[in-house]
Amino acid sequence: MTREQALQEIRARFDGVILSMFDKSPSRVYIEIKPEALVPAANYIFWELGARFNIATGVDTRTHIEILYHFIIEEINLLVSLRVKLDRDRPVIDSLTPSFEAANWVEREIHELLGVEFKNHPDMRRLLLPENWPEGVYPLRRDYQEWDKQAVRDRGV
Amino acid sequence: MGMKLRALLKSPWVFHLSTGSCNNCDIEVLDCLTPRFDIERFGILLAGSIKHADVLLITGSCNRQSAERLKRLYEQVPKPCLVVAIGECAMSRGMFIESYNCPLPLDHIIPVDAYIPGCPPKPEAIIAGAVKLIEKVGAAT
Amino acid sequence: MYAYPLYFVLFGLVLTAVLGLLASWLDRKVTARVQYRVGPPVLQPAIDIVKLLGKETLIPAGAHKPTFLAAPLFSFAGAAAVSTLLWITVAQPSRGFAGDVFVALYLFTLPSLGIILGGFASGNPVASLGASREMKLILAYELPFVIALFVPIILSGYAIRLPELAAYQAAERAFVLHPSGLLAFLVALLCTQAKMGLVPFDVAEAETEITGGPLIEYSGPGLAVYRLSKNMLFIALPLFLVLMFLGGIPLSASGIAYGVLKLVLVIALLTLIRNTNPRIRIDQAMCFFWVPVTGVALAAVVFAMFGW
Repeated sequence: MTREQALQEIRARFDGVILSMFDKSPSRVYIEIKPEALVPAANYIFWELGARFNIATGVDTRTHIEILYHFIIEEINLLVSLRVKLDRDRPVIDSLTPSFEAANWVEREIHELLGVEFKNHPDMRRLLLPENWPEGVYPLRRDYQEWDKQAVRDRGV
Repeated sequence: MGMKLRALLKSPWVFHLSTGSCNNCDIEVLDCLTPRFDIERFGILLAGSIKHADVLLITGSCNRQSAERLKRLYEQVPKPCLVVAIGECAMSRGMFIESYNCPLPLDHIIPVDAYIPGCPPKPEAIIAGAVKLIEKVGAAT
Repeated sequence: MYAYPLYFVLFGLVLTAVLGLLASWLDRKVTARVQYRVGPPVLQPAIDIVKLLGKETLIPAGAHKPTFLAAPLFSFAGAAAVSTLLWITVAQPSRGFAGDVFVALYLFTLPSLGIILGGFASGNPVASLGASREMKLILAYELPFVIALFVPIILSGYAIRLPELAAYQAAERAFVLHPSGLLAFLVALLCTQAKMGLVPFDVAEAETEITGGPLIEYSGPGLAVYRLSKNMLFIALPLFLVLMFLGGIPLSASGIAYGVLKLVLVIALLTLIRNTNPRIRIDQAMCFFWVPVTGVALAAVVFAMFGW
């Protein structure tokens, strides 16, 4: 199947939930979908189109928090990025870990750095931050304040 | 202390320690140990275990997790011992000075004897820094 | 009666330490030259030992303290004892006793046993790993070493005193010039390479792999004593090979000059093998020593029985 056929199929299956589709380049496409439809769309792309789950990236923009899920369909050299926009006050989304195990640690990292809650994640533990890091403080948010009184932030010269 | 330090300057065994670097400084330190620069003529050997080390070559900006391990490792080095901070990240955290994960620079955690600037410093710069350190310590004893 | 302590201090400790440090320097310098670089200065191995004596000793919490502190001395005592024995048979041939070849063979295993003891007493899993590898290596190389040492004994008409072997070689030709003696010398050379912990058989103390092996927890004076006993083995083992295979060191001016040349030749062969080979794994080392090397040693013994 070619690139056009793949995108045609996705558009046909998920007609009601696709908010926009943006062709960035011959090998990249950004598809924005509603948060409720993430799990069926990701399952379709992973299991039926045979894509490889690459990574998920989270960003705290000026208006909302968004997560991009990147899938690579190797045969046609296409990288599909599924974008979901979440509310900054209560960012909640369904977890993709029950569908494929590769999303396990990725979601743990997004949770502890951005504060996004993933429903149905089997093992939400701390991954990268040290044990004495306070709960509820998410470093990659725009409103992160320095909480450590003993940090030295000048160069000393 | 004078005789011990003088013997140490004639045969300093180095131990390479990375506290979370991007590995460029580590590659340059490795280049220093190759036959092209031949530091064995100064008696410098690469020590396998930290208990055999006389000089610690530290790269990388200390993040919170490696800071506790660094303190434990520094206690395990038999004194007298010299510490050399290699690269911008080890000197003052470089571009990571505002990072949430690097609260303190290296010399607030362990005492440092020499700083070698560069990102990464060339092997010639590392050797020049080592020579300056040996001269400074030799003049002080 | 006062001769024995004097011999121990003079020959076993002082002479062997000085010559051993020189031999270690020779090895490092030749290695450097082979790699197109300048090597360390002459006093470097001695400066290493002096520097190590000035560092503090750190004893790990899980270590067995008496064994940890005594193991280097065990190693050192073995190296000093065997050096005393060998130098006495060179300097005063009348003091050799029946079976001193076998005593030397037993005493040569003591330095390696000291390293194993120290490794297991350290309480560190990496040290235990290195010590167990050293044990396996001893199992591997002791067999062909002992079989190869039968060849000079058989060829000389079953003489088991070191001075008698040297005298036989002075009267007839050196054992290495017989075909069986040459094979046995090659086998003994490879076993010496393993006994001294040189590449390609230094898997027990592999630096980049297991960060120092059994010696990982040793610092300061303990490490200095281990290094000194290794350096003393660097002259004692070539001396043993020269005495057994290459004709010994007769006590005349030309004899001593040729003796020094023979020692340098053996050290040069060890350095050459060390610089041209990679390190082999422990299972490859055991297979190598038990199958091809033992086969060659047995063939040498069979040839020796026929008198070749």
